[in-house]
This record gives sequence, C-alpha cells and structure tokens, in this order.
Amino acid sequence: MGNSSSSTSGRGHDESVDYGQLVPQGVYTGPGDWNQSITAQLIIARRLAPFYRPLEDYEENWDDDRILAARKPLPGSETEQQPPPTPTLAKASKRSGSLKEPSKPEATVYRGAVECPICFLYYPPNINHSRCCDQAICTECFVQIKRSEPTATHLVSEPAACPYCVQENFGVVYSPPPWRAGIGSEGSHSLWSDSPKGSQQSIETSGPYPTHKRRQKSFSADSPEVVLIDHIRPDWEAKLAAVRAAVTRRANRRIIMRQVGDRLIPVGVTSGRVHALSPEEAAQAAEAGSDASGSRRSRRRQQAPANGNFEQFVGMGGQELEELMIMEAMRLSLLDHEEQQRKEAEEKKKTDAAAAAAAAAAEEPASEPGPSTLEAATTPATSSSLSVNRNSLTQTRSRSPSPNPLQALKDTATMWRRRTSSPPPFSTLSAALSTVSTASAVLNGTGGEPTPSPPASNPTDAEQTIPTITVAAGLPPEAPAEGSPVRPNPTPYEPFSSPISTHSSVGGPDSWNDLPSSPDSFTAREPLLSEPLGGPETPKVAPEPTDYFGGASGAAHE
Amino acid sequence: MASIASRRLAKELSEIKSEGCPVGIKLVKADDFATWWFTIEVMGESLYQSEVYTLQFRFDAQYPISSPAVQFVVKDGLEAPIHPHVYSNGHICASILGNEWSPVLSVTAVCVTLQSMLASCKKKERPVDNDRYVRNAPENPKKTQFEYHDDSV
Repeated sequence: MGNSSSSTSGRGHDESVDYGQLVPQGVYTGPGDWNQSITAQLIIARRLAPFYRPLEDYEENWDDDRILAARKPLPGSETEQQPPPTPTLAKASKRSGSLKEPSKPEATVYRGAVECPICFLYYPPNINHSRCCDQAICTECFVQIKRSEPTATHLVSEPAACPYCVQENFGVVYSPPPWRAGIGSEGSHSLWSDSPKGSQQSIETSGPYPTHKRRQKSFSADSPEVVLIDHIRPDWEAKLAAVRAAVTRRANRRIIMRQVGDRLIPVGVTSGRVHALSPEEAAQAAEAGSDASGSRRSRRRQQAPANGNFEQFVGMGGQELEELMIMEAMRLSLLDHEEQQRKEAEEKKKTDAAAAAAAAAAEEPASEPGPSTLEAATTPATSSSLSVNRNSLTQTRSRSPSPNPLQALKDTATMWRRRTSSPPPFSTLSAALSTVSTASAVLNGTGGEPTPSPPASNPTDAEQTIPTITVAAGLPPEAPAEGSPVRPNPTPYEPFSSPISTHSSVGGPDSWNDLPSSPDSFTAREPLLSEPLGGPETPKVAPEPTDYFGGASGAAHE
Repeated sequence: MASIASRRLAKELSEIKSEGCPVGIKLVKADDFATWWFTIEVMGESLYQSEVYTLQFRFDAQYPISSPAVQFVVKDGLEAPIHPHVYSNGHICASILGNEWSPVLSVTAVCVTLQSMLASCKKKERPVDNDRYVRNAPENPKKTQFEYHDDSV
C-alpha cells in the first residue's frame, strides 16, 4: 500500500500507541482539566490504556470492516489517525477479502471488545481495570473522574472513590497487550507501513487479546502499577488551596456601612455563607480585622456579621452559650445606649455647662467619669473600675490589648449573670432569640431620632457619610483583643454593638466582630457622647457608655 | 455528535424498553435526553402502600459523570411522599444523588434506591427543616449542598 508508507499519514500514527491515541477521542465534551501530558506519558509507558476510538456496539462475529464502521465518528476529523484515509476503506476491504487475512490490525485490536460500564461504549480488551475491584473502565471515563471540587462551603477535596466499589483513592491498573505498535514499539515505530507488519503478526500470533482474567488481589493505592486520578490531576492541592484562599479573602471582606443619623446602614453586604474557619484562617481574619480598625478613622466602626441567622447556634455547647450570653448583654447594652443617647441629647441642650464640667473632669484620670456616671453606677466597684478604665483610655488612647480580654469579657458576663437574676442559659438563649425583633423595632424607633451630637461639635454631621468598615463573618474570639481596653469594665451592658449588630448579635461568631471595633468607636463616637454619662434612667445594670466611648474625654479632646 | 449523556441515556432507555423497569417503577415519559419521568410505588408492606409518586430526572451533558437532578414532581396535583428525607417541594436528601453518586449507577438504579428509601421509612414526616429549606431552595436540587443524615430511614 503506497499510502501507508507515505509520511503524510504519519502524524496520527506518530501519536498512537498500540493503535490507540494519546488524546481523548471525543466521548466526553467539555473542558479536559486533567494533565494531558502526564496522561500521554502514562499511555506511552503502557500504564494506562490508550484512548481508543470506541465502538458504538460490538458483536463477536463482526468482521474488520464492520468493526471499523462501528467506531465512533470523531468529533473533528482533524484527529484522523487512520493511516488509510476513509476513501480507501472500500478498497482495503476488497483487498483484505482477497487476501483472506486480517490486514487491519487497527480493527483486530477490537476483537473481544469490552463494554465500559460507565460510557456504555466498547473498547479493545486491553482496558484499564480498577485497582480495588478489578472493574473495567476506559481511559476516557477514567480521566473524567476526579476529586470533588472544593467550594467555599465545602472546603475539602476528598479523593474520588471508586465508582464501582466506592473504595477511596480511585486508581486503575493496566495490562498492555503482549505486542506493541506505535510509540514505544521496537523498530520503525514512526512508519505505519512497517510496524503493522510486525505488530500484526504479533497480534496474529498472540491471537485475540486473552480475556481479562479476574484478578484475585487488589492493588494498594501506592503500588507502582497503579495510576491514581491524583496522578493525572496533580494540581488538586493547588486548587484546594486556591479556594481556601478565596474563602479567606472573602472572610476578610468588609461590609461597608454608611452612617445615617445615629444608625449604620449597610451599603454593601457580603452574602457568603458562614463556614467554620480553621484556626489559621481565623487568625488571618483577626489580623485583617485589626489592621483595618487600626488604619481607618471613622465615626463608627462596626464589625458586622456577614450572616446573622440563628440556626447555626442552635446546637451550641456551653461555651458558645456563654459567649451568646455575653453578646446578648452587649446587645442589651446597646439598647440602653441608644436610649441613653436620646436622653443625653435632650439633656445636652439644657446643660451645656454640665458637659463642659464633664470634659474637664475627664482630663483628670482618676476623677469621676462624669456627673451622672456615678449615679448610674450601681456599685462602688463599678465606678472605681470605670475610673480605671477611663484612666487608661484617656491617658494612652492606645489599642494595646489588656492582659486577658477574653477573661475580662467572661467576668463581665458572669457579673451580669450574677446581678441580674441569672436566668438559666436556655431562657437567656430564647430571650436572645426572641428579643431580636424587638430590638430592631426599638432601634428603628430610635433611628428616627436626631443624632444626639451637640451642635457645637459638628463632626457627626461632617462624617455622617463616611462609610464605616466592618469585618465580615468569621472573626474569631481572638479579635476582641483589639477592643480590650474597655473589656475590664465590669458593667456588662457595654454599648459597643451598634444598631445593625442587633440583628445578628445573637448569632455567635459575628458578634465577636463587634469587639475589635471598640477602640475606634471610642474615638469615633466622641461627639455623640460628649455628654456621656447619661443615663440616670439607665437600667439596673449600670450601663457605662462612658468608659467605652470615653465621652468626657472625647469632649475634652474636641 | 451526540454527547456522552445522550448516548448513554439512549442505551439506558433501550434497555428499559427491552427489559422493562424494575417492579413498581414505570417509565412515564422520556421524550428527550433532558428530562425523564417515572412513577414509583413501594411494593409490599410499607407506609406508602398503594401510593404512587412521580419522579423527575434531569440530565446535563456530563451525565453520567455528573449525577442527574432527581426530585419528586409536585405539580398538577402530584405530591412528594411524606418522608424525613423528602422536602415538600420534591427535593430529596439522598447521598447517592449527591456526593455518593457514581457514574456506574443508572436511572433505574436510582429509582430502585429511592423506592427502598421509602420502603424502609418508619414514620411519615417531613424533614425538620422543611419549611426553611423549601422557602429558599434552589430550583435545581443539585444546587443544594445537602448534609446527609442517618441512613436508618
């Protein structure tokens, strides 16, 4: 055959192995995300069956022509690997008929074809078999099987299980035919005309490929014979890392808040679903959060939750419950603060002089927080610790974390529990859950109120449009370290959550986000609280916005 | 060139037509390779005796590598069975439709699995989170990241 020796038909042959190909034959459409060069190397090494053009159907009694005709048409003829171009088929068949010998090894390889249980197509009997349960799988299907793609909500990439027996770490073993053709065959492997002779004889002498003998043992995943799906997708770890990084980035994303009057309105809200952060991620998130709060000057800083649904806290354990109670305390204190701010605003108008006095008083570290603070404070202990706090705040205004902010928080909560008639945890929980709507209602009510900021110190208005940045979901408990200066304050009702947090303050990790913002809020809210020590009306638990907002010192500052 | 999905589905369909469906399962329609409907009935003693439900399969081009979207039909008077893993919108929380899908499974295999899921049910009730899920559920159940609970029911 003249055509067979011509080099024009060599290209396809060059890339063939045992009459199969190194590239997929179009069974599957869609992007091939496996590593094709590794796959090709494995095929050349006879560790993976070549990509054979599958037969749509197969009967044992078919002749070569029938077999070749049953081959699945190629999606594009570009990969025409058939040394004799299609027009010569008829000629070839006549010739083969006259010669009465199989002249088409490319058909002979299909003798004893087996059906791939996944694509239901027929392949030469030298097909891959699962390492674990010895089931056939064609290479087309094999390269499709992969680890589950990690997603933001499912941050793992589990090894793909065997589709047949569900054993982990799917891999195959391939037994090549006893003969060789194409790449890797001895002799003139680049010329189809020469090698078929040899290989054809080999095929003939070896007969149809012996039927696959059921193997008794399975191969372990690390056997040298085994090709794992991870071998042809070595990048799965990188992919997983990429998704994780993306999620971490998202966790660090801020919600942009705009202050309208006394309230913060979220302008852009992250929509990501809450997921558990790994410690590293948490640390990163905390870092990012503190960085942000350190570099930003804004009227209000709010660590807002990206997601404030409560379902995630239903099954929480004791520690979470305690945290929840703390958060509830903070939330209540917010309400107090709102109320107080209103009162303050009213009072402010009447008593400008008092405000001045408060400012003066604040200059002195050890002095009382303000005129009304002491009244508000229910216990001496409270007031004294208040002074201390104020002290540190006024003097340093630093963000240096207190030794143990978390413990302080817990103390606070404990004290709160003691003071109030310490409701059982679950009543608190339900209260927390049920009060949310109330809280928002109240907030909405107060929202309409004019900002309590004094006309004199206008920063409120000036900064009203400054967006406040909040750290999104997933801030870990470590974060509060930023806000620690206020932590030691024994008054549980610290008003450091802002209106928006109310909606989610019951929702665990989110509320932690509030904490880091404290110091900033402190500076930011000064004008609001220039008359800080508000509330004679403050409820039983002595809400001390003072220490937190440093109202008096703020006034002095201005 | 037909995709792998339609080619394989064609073979599954011809098998169904030549060999019939498993008992209790009937092919309602398979006019194309995108959506098939079956009726499914639990045979023998069960809480669902003589109740017939309709299952809808939707296939994408990557079937069978990717799982079909399977749910009970809940329109035109048809309802989903009341079952702890079946939401009232017809979505089914079954691992073989999600992370335990295997391309070796077939349409009839899924039918049989769901049939036995119903058959083994001890108590007719909706999933505890039914209302919440149904309120926000995506149209395609494959877009839901189910968490698979116990296998006992």
